[in-house]
Amino acid sequence: MVQVPERELVRLEGLWSDGLSDAYRAYQEDVSQFEAGAQPKLALAAALIEIGIRLQGLGGRAAPPTVLLMGDLCLARGSRLLADNGPLQVQVAFAEAIQAMSSAAAAEQSVPSTRQLLRRALTR
Amino acid sequence: MIGARLRFGTRHATEFVDLTDRLREEIRDSGLRTGRVYLQSLHTTLGLAVNENEPLLLRDFQALLERIAPAGAGYHHDDFARRVDVPVDEPENGHAHCRQLLLTSSSTLLVEDGDLVLGRWQSVFAVELDGPRQREVAVQLDGDFVRPSREASEALVELELARQLLVDPESVAAPMRRLVEAGGKRLRPKLVQLTAGIGPVNEPLRAAALAAAVELLHNATLIHDDYVDESTHRRGRPTVAAAEGPERAIAVGDYYFAKATRMIAEIGNRDVTSAIAEALEAVCASQIDDVALRGAYPGDRESYLKVVRGKTASLFAAACASGALLSGATPEAVGALRRYGELLGTAFQMVDDMVDFSPSSGKPVGLDIRQRVLSLPLIYAADDREVGPEVRALLAGALGDREVGRVAELVTSSDALGRVRNEANELVEEAVRELEAIELDGLRPILVGLARSAVDRNA
Repeated sequence: MVQVPERELVRLEGLWSDGLSDAYRAYQEDVSQFEAGAQPKLALAAALIEIGIRLQGLGGRAAPPTVLLMGDLCLARGSRLLADNGPLQVQVAFAEAIQAMSSAAAAEQSVPSTRQLLRRALTR
Repeated sequence: MIGARLRFGTRHATEFVDLTDRLREEIRDSGLRTGRVYLQSLHTTLGLAVNENEPLLLRDFQALLERIAPAGAGYHHDDFARRVDVPVDEPENGHAHCRQLLLTSSSTLLVEDGDLVLGRWQSVFAVELDGPRQREVAVQLDGDFVRPSREASEALVELELARQLLVDPESVAAPMRRLVEAGGKRLRPKLVQLTAGIGPVNEPLRAAALAAAVELLHNATLIHDDYVDESTHRRGRPTVAAAEGPERAIAVGDYYFAKATRMIAEIGNRDVTSAIAEALEAVCASQIDDVALRGAYPGDRESYLKVVRGKTASLFAAACASGALLSGATPEAVGALRRYGELLGTAFQMVDDMVDFSPSSGKPVGLDIRQRVLSLPLIYAADDREVGPEVRALLAGALGDREVGRVAELVTSSDALGRVRNEANELVEEAVRELEAIELDGLRPILVGLARSAVDRNA
């Protein structure tokens, strides 16, 4: 069941049907160990970061500027949801996952799977 | 109050570990001038003592402990058959627990003139009674701390930035290092450090870590902005996007966005983490608005202010609030400093817009016009009765060198720059008034000076 507060999707409504809802549902499986109120927010945080990275084109061809900005907003909102609802170790694990992907991209190496890294971060 | 842990390993069953020098170092690093050091052993077979560090005397103490509570003397604690939940690696150490009873597990020491108050022959010992082991002693330092000078604080941030960049992969660190080393005003870290001195908790190292993280975050946003704005130079050097391509720029921006958020999270203050995260979201949302408004260039004052509050002022506000939160300042002080930061950030952006029309700034005149970046002088000039029609007509068409030059000329000839200057000054005075109602522990003149100099590009 989708429990995402509407305000967390402001400006990103179009993304919901473009992969965000699927990603959100996938991460719902990984958040059961957290307090009930935090679960949808953490699943959404992970989904936003995954979609944000996809939009930016990290590790591939750079997104056009306007799409990059949308990706940046996804990352920032995911990060804020984590800051407000996630335990410290999850916040750190998410940041490490993004660092791993972006440093690989900067070194022109293959970028690890976002979903795999974020799922691991949620269950660490 | 500053907390720390002294960690050390012991090599013998009984051992006197002299902690005096390490404690002196902690006191020196903390800046504690007058106050107290609280020590607490975190183990039941590790005691504390203040006594003379003379090797033969230490053997006497050891012999005394052994006489009073000899090992293997039939302690109930060592009869594992009668105990419940005994770990598999539990040693027979009844004697060690009994010996610890003769010592103390916590101790308070005085500090004067930035040093431990100890008699000529006194040393501070952790006494191992069941070694060898890894041990930990908790330390808290409380009292009056000397505030590091502004120069020392700023040097701490530079060191922290250099240290963080040193440990990163070169593919991301090199472009960020070029940007960081090219300068910049470091206003956001300065605001963090100043406001971190306002409350009762004075932790210069954590404040420096937060300040460095905020600067890295700001630079990460600039790297993406430069790609979006197609800027070729920043701080006199090629932008990451121009020098290394947009793909690298996106990766470097993401890396330092993540690194900075991690550094901030690791500071361990949820309110600080939330304040910065909220600001970052505002920055990103406003950047989208900024680009969207370029279709209706030059826009209006209201839209301009909305964008600037998000894009620039929100991080200024968060820098002020987060420093104050870190220092344990009152909610009233945090609120006032947040408003101070927001007003200052808005004023700062207005003055930054004026630089686009100044031939002596070092930046090419009219760069913002060419890139259709929101600019208050341009908005005012477009509204001007005399030059407005021509400005609007020029902006509606293609902007080549000739058109950009003419727009800059028209803006300069109108009263737009003067209006923006006055408005920025008014905002700064409003920011200064926010400081009047709160206790600032002597920092008011510095914050006032910083606000006024931030909008004075000749300073």
